Amino acid sequence: MVSRRDLFTGAAALVGAGVVSRVGAASLPEAVMVHSAATQVPPPPPNGRPFHPVVTLNGWSLPWRMNKGVKEFHLVAEPVVREFAPGMKANLWGYNGASPGPTIEVVEGDRVRIFVTNRLPEHTSIHWHGQRLPNGMDGVTGLTQKGIQPGKTMVYEFEAKRPGTFMYHPHADEMVQMAMGMMGFWVTHPKNPDFMKVDRDYVFLLGSYDIEPGSFVPKTSTMLDFNLFTFNSRVFPGIDTMVARQGERVRIRVGNLTMTNHPIHLHGHEFEVTGTDGGWTRPESRWPEVTTDVAVGQMRAIEFVASDLGDWAFHCHKSHHTMNAMGHDVPNMIGVAQSEAAKKIMSIIPDYMAMGSTGGSMGEMEMPLPDNTLPMMGGQGPFGGVEMGGMFTIMKVRKDQKRGDYSDPGWYKHPAGTVAYEWTGAPLEAVRNTSSGGQSMPAAAPARKVEFNVRKPSGHSGH
Amino acid sequence: MKRFAVTRTSRRAVEPALRNCALVLAVSVLAGCASLSDDGAAREVSTLTQPRTGFGVAPERNERDAQAGREQVARLLSAPLTPDAAVQIALLNNRGLQTSLAQLGVSEADFVQAGRMRNPGFSFSRMRGGDEVEIERSVMFDLIGLLTIPLRSAIESGRFEGAKLSAASEAVRLAGETRRAYFNAVAAAQTEKFMRQVVTSAEAGAQLAQEQAKVGNWSTLDRAREQAFYAEAMTQYARSRHAATAARERLVRLLGVWGAQLDVKLPDRLPDLPSQPSEAGALEALAMEQRLDLQIARRDVEATARSLGLTEATGFINVLEAGYASKSSTGAPRENGYEISLELPIFDWGGARRARARATYMMSVHRTADIAIRARSEVREAYSAYRTSYDVARHYRDEVVPLKKQISEEVLLRYNGMLASVFELLADSRDQVRSVNGAIDAQRDFWIAETELQAAINGSGGAVSQSMAPGANAGPAAAAEH
Ligand SMILES: [Cu+2]
Repeated sequence: MVSRRDLFTGAAALVGAGVVSRVGAASLPEAVMVHSAATQVPPPPPNGRPFHPVVTLNGWSLPWRMNKGVKEFHLVAEPVVREFAPGMKANLWGYNGASPGPTIEVVEGDRVRIFVTNRLPEHTSIHWHGQRLPNGMDGVTGLTQKGIQPGKTMVYEFEAKRPGTFMYHPHADEMVQMAMGMMGFWVTHPKNPDFMKVDRDYVFLLGSYDIEPGSFVPKTSTMLDFNLFTFNSRVFPGIDTMVARQGERVRIRVGNLTMTNHPIHLHGHEFEVTGTDGGWTRPESRWPEVTTDVAVGQMRAIEFVASDLGDWAFHCHKSHHTMNAMGHDVPNMIGVAQSEAAKKIMSIIPDYMAMGSTGGSMGEMEMPLPDNTLPMMGGQGPFGGVEMGGMFTIMKVRKDQKRGDYSDPGWYKHPAGTVAYEWTGAPLEAVRNTSSGGQSMPAAAPARKVEFNVRKPSGHSGH
Repeated sequence: MKRFAVTRTSRRAVEPALRNCALVLAVSVLAGCASLSDDGAAREVSTLTQPRTGFGVAPERNERDAQAGREQVARLLSAPLTPDAAVQIALLNNRGLQTSLAQLGVSEADFVQAGRMRNPGFSFSRMRGGDEVEIERSVMFDLIGLLTIPLRSAIESGRFEGAKLSAASEAVRLAGETRRAYFNAVAAAQTEKFMRQVVTSAEAGAQLAQEQAKVGNWSTLDRAREQAFYAEAMTQYARSRHAATAARERLVRLLGVWGAQLDVKLPDRLPDLPSQPSEAGALEALAMEQRLDLQIARRDVEATARSLGLTEATGFINVLEAGYASKSSTGAPRENGYEISLELPIFDWGGARRARARATYMMSVHRTADIAIRARSEVREAYSAYRTSYDVARHYRDEVVPLKKQISEEVLLRYNGMLASVFELLADSRDQVRSVNGAIDAQRDFWIAETELQAAINGSGGAVSQSMAPGANAGPAAAAEH
């Protein structure tokens, strides 16, 4: 397996794990490890049936070995350190050095044998979400198997029957183990590599974590009030961009292992949902969309032709999911004159700075934060702060992006006259509608004069 | 003291007593002839107070003394007051102490007087009742006075010694009380300053709340809550201000200053903790040597021993001293006095009197032992209080306050990241002020405990030992919960 290490184009070193005892190592495939969070584009399969590999956003695909016609993988469940974005690391549980674990790619009809070694302090199991397999391979502790005890290795073996998009995750102490980051992607490619062939096939899992600013370990008892929403355990601006050559057909596969739904939204293009948990959707059942809701425990494969050049936002449409950790009890300070109070506060807290009078945007303000915390909103674009966090990335469509080239082409250079511009003429008088109500709610009396208190942004925190 | 008036009618009856007094005269030869000191024995008192308080005493007996005292006090008051300067001023200026020193003058005068014979005199009286006129003429000579000079001298000398000890004890007590008042006053002023910060913080919160409500971000309920906190903080601040005034006035009373001198400048903060606490060492032994109440008690033992000896020797001389009956530490004027009577041993040979004298002697012996036992215990307790308050104050300084500071820094970082609100920031600032106040209280308690320990070793014991009850530091700040 050593030879497979250089199969990856990514810079990160793959490290053979000394996980399993040397005595048993002879019969076990090597557990390949990766500790980097960079996207690593897998090469074409060196053996077995051919397929077009997927690109795991900020992740990688697990190498295998062929053993008498059986594809053998080795997953190691273990504590890992995952960088959510530069400036913040989390102590998670994952597989083979990372969370989420490596993507497993097989082909329809493959006989698959997966060795799972448990290096966690408690028993675990793996459930192969969405697969058709013998009941005893379904990975539900207590129900279909005994838990894999710490230090033990168990083997799952089944035929990858149905092509499609799948996930794997523990079905043992799920609340804790999934909150700690135990999850991974699984793709079963069709036997015919040209079936529904696309030029680029991106995959990632949606995750949510509750990591208190200044701490490193997620709170595993949080039910819904998470503060970090991730694509493959990365938050913007730490998420890699997706790229496409103009005119390429792009597929993005998303799996949801959080506790809420995520309306995933692409700018500038319409797409169709071509796959769900149940398999490929029939062409006549598809309709165009720009947002698709990925419900809890669901998978969605969307496809579109990257027809329009530019840097297109791609994100969950729940606005608080495009933010990093923020205070949930912070009062709204919009419109609040703070300068008088600020003087008093500064007399006792010299480093105090009044904020929020004109909204939540902190603009270019750079203020010291607690350790291991990211700004609530961040990321610098060519026009300034992007003011995003969490589940946000960019789909970059370029004319000259080479086929198979996944490197970041930089910011889009807009042709002249194609960028929003400032109106420099005289201000227009606003026209207001004076009628009130519709037919079902006609005005009962002449409309009273209502005075609106319109607060205009002043650019200053005080008045 | 009763004077024996020798008149024509009684002269013969006295003569046998004269012979009986030969022994008394022989015993008392050593009493010698005393004269008045030039400073009312202040130097001797100073010898007692100097090692115990660091300063001597200066009786103010005339305008020149007063002038010198005023100048010195003015000089000491010109800079922010130190604990030592406060003690020095109190020793110079406190009228209660001056009363004791004047009392010393009285004792000395009595002592000197006792060594002198009364002048012989004549008396002439003319009484008229109805139509009768009675004219009496007499020549008086204070024979009993003459006979009892040595005896009286010895007694008055003891009383004078007692007065000196008592004045010194008063001075040491005053010094301790002044130091206590000083530390209380400085701490209360510091606390007041920090309570003003709580008010500022609460005021800022209330102001923001008002703005919040004005622009529609907050309900009346939220606004009223923040406003109510401010309103309460104001009352607490008012209380802390009065507490500072009261503590300062207690100090001013002990300093004995008034009028133009009232502008006593206190330093901004209490003295730092010493880098190391003193070790317990031989504090009990030291207290046995140094404590003035013990010395007073011992002197009483000696005096009663002397009078016991006299009574044993003659049986006819009744000397009853009542000096020890008062405890010098209470500061109340002593009930002083004695009576000497010479009797003719005709019916009573003095057996009962001797038994009484012996019992009186034993009383003072037991009393001295009692004081000594108590003193040892007081020293041990005072040292425990001293050591505990030192550790608590150091813990506040090295642990509690830095941790609170760290918390505040972290809250500010969270505020920066919009993870916490300005109201949390303000609440934390108030919390920090409370811990600073706790630290001030602990530091004050240490200095007071140190003062008490000194009192237990050098003076007559602490007035009160420090209670280390939890929550003893709970000033108005503790109620400022939000
Ligand atoms: Cu979402």
